[in-house]
Amino acid sequence: MLNEKPTLKSTGKALLYLLPMLVITIIFNIYPILKSFIMSFYTKYDFFKDIVQQWGWSNFTYIFHDPDFLLAVKNTLIFVVGVVPLTVIISLVVALLLNKIKWLSGLFRTVYFLPFVTSTVAIAQVWHWIYNSDYGLLNYFLGLFGVSPIAWLESPKYAMLALIIMSIWKSLGFNIVLFLVGLNNINERYYQAAEIDGANAWHQFTNVTVPLLSPITFLVSVNGVIGSFKVFDQIFALFNGTPGPSKSALTIVYYLYQKFYTEWKYGIAAASGVVLFFMILLVTLIQMWYSKKHVHY
Amino acid sequence: MEVTFKDVSLSYDGTREILHHLNFTIPEGTLVSILGPSGCGKSTTLMLISGLLAPTKGQIFFGDQDVTKQDALARKVGMVFQNYALYPHLTVLENIMFPLKMAKVKKEERREKALKLAKLVHVDDQLDKKPGALSGGQQQRVAIARALAKEPSLLLLDEPLSNLDARLRIEMRQEIRRIQQETGVTTIFVTHDQDEALHISDHIMVLNLGDIQQFSSAETLYDNPSNLFVAKFIGEPVINTLPITAFGHDLDGAVPAAILAKTQTVGIRPEALQDHPIDTGTLAQITTQVKAFEKYGREKNALVDYNGNELLSTEIQGRLENHQDLTLYLQKSGFYLFDEAGQRIFGGEQDVE
Repeated sequence: MLNEKPTLKSTGKALLYLLPMLVITIIFNIYPILKSFIMSFYTKYDFFKDIVQQWGWSNFTYIFHDPDFLLAVKNTLIFVVGVVPLTVIISLVVALLLNKIKWLSGLFRTVYFLPFVTSTVAIAQVWHWIYNSDYGLLNYFLGLFGVSPIAWLESPKYAMLALIIMSIWKSLGFNIVLFLVGLNNINERYYQAAEIDGANAWHQFTNVTVPLLSPITFLVSVNGVIGSFKVFDQIFALFNGTPGPSKSALTIVYYLYQKFYTEWKYGIAAASGVVLFFMILLVTLIQMWYSKKHVHY
Repeated sequence: MEVTFKDVSLSYDGTREILHHLNFTIPEGTLVSILGPSGCGKSTTLMLISGLLAPTKGQIFFGDQDVTKQDALARKVGMVFQNYALYPHLTVLENIMFPLKMAKVKKEERREKALKLAKLVHVDDQLDKKPGALSGGQQQRVAIARALAKEPSLLLLDEPLSNLDARLRIEMRQEIRRIQQETGVTTIFVTHDQDEALHISDHIMVLNLGDIQQFSSAETLYDNPSNLFVAKFIGEPVINTLPITAFGHDLDGAVPAAILAKTQTVGIRPEALQDHPIDTGTLAQITTQVKAFEKYGREKNALVDYNGNELLSTEIQGRLENHQDLTLYLQKSGFYLFDEAGQRIFGGEQDVE
């Protein structure tokens, strides 16, 4: 019945349907999140017996005085700023081009989507060769323009750039597909109306495509920001399990990983996780606030 | 602006032609409807006028200027689309101002003009709403205002009323007529609804299968259909049609024998079949059998059988019983004969095209 009033019985029944997924989510998502929040306040902790001897804020004061952590925050921000806007722009441009060509568009779509379905480790291995300072493809091409070989993966100056390039390339495929869906959803009539109204190709792009695509752009950028804040596997794979030459690609999650798995400082790892959580939350809230004004559903 | 088509043909894929050798002139300042069943090419014709489509062959003139090669941007026509195509992210006022913005009109002037147009189409109390918050009729009005904003030489309307409910449709078609007369802009209106076309237009172009069937005033279309298609398409209830063989010798003497020999189909408007004789205008009389008799309000209709063909008459005076014999008087006005090709060879006024 559509107009049924919620009763104790119907609510119970609904809960029963939700239970299987709810149990999994609580065990693997909700509980760990709460636990890591709590854990960030453990200052003295016996891991083997699970006894907390002391609570406090000192984990947070520690990380904010740890130059490694501050470097990780800085690197993460550089990474986010380097990857997200370029990913959005490049994937939009590629999607627009793909939308225009009819010939072999299916093939191109597949080609661009491949990075998304390929394992990060395999991709990193290929890029490892591309970045190789002696035999690498990238240096070869740069050499054609007279640029002397760059030690992409060995120089602290270029390591982050190398990481950003690979990450953009990897994330293009999925975002292109999203943009293509968005472009297909824009009714052809709007373009005809705009043409009748005297809008040239550029004005049609800025006045029809951009605003009507804004929900997808918003989705892609929020998704990209969250994903980029959490970057870890690309670094691990590209720099063979190190955070880049002289920590040049040390990000927050990588810092967290080091504290947790190699140094067994669980409280500090949890505290950095909490900081990351609030950073992502803050940026996402800013994006949501911005979207209220500029995203047209 | 006068619009002239000279031998215009269009095919999308190069093999199948949608429009065949269209030739017509739409006089300046008139409201012309393009009428036809779906798939007849009427929207395509409108797209050709707007410049969104280019003809495969032939020339299009605005006034005496050849615009065949110009695109929609250069032709500067206003157009209202079937689903209005209002920009969903802009407010009503911004929608109306958009063509002016594209024409780089100054901001204050833009606003002023848009306000004036909003007043003309009666949406001046909805200016800050988004199109999604408007009713169909209001969206329609906004779309007309937007089309008029750049003071187009031509206003094109593509089935603008088909998304509205019956009452609103009648209101809006009068509105369109009013706006057209107030602005004096040459207006071309595409519709599949004869009622709409008959009510608002100065001239009607009937299209079928990419050919112009007839281009004339509403009255001429009804009184002097040039062929069987027009006769069948215009008029409600639909004209009775039956093969000439059904008449036997009933028409002998009433129609010249030479014409009868060429006739294939007979068309009789329901009001041209009367159960009472009048002195003038009666062409012949036929004996029929009543199959069904209906009376709604002041309307009396009879469905009769004539030599195995069903005929509808709307001019019944007496009360009829089913299965009774009935003599019907064929009136000259509303009686047409068509030849093998469907061309009218008798009835109406022959010289009127």
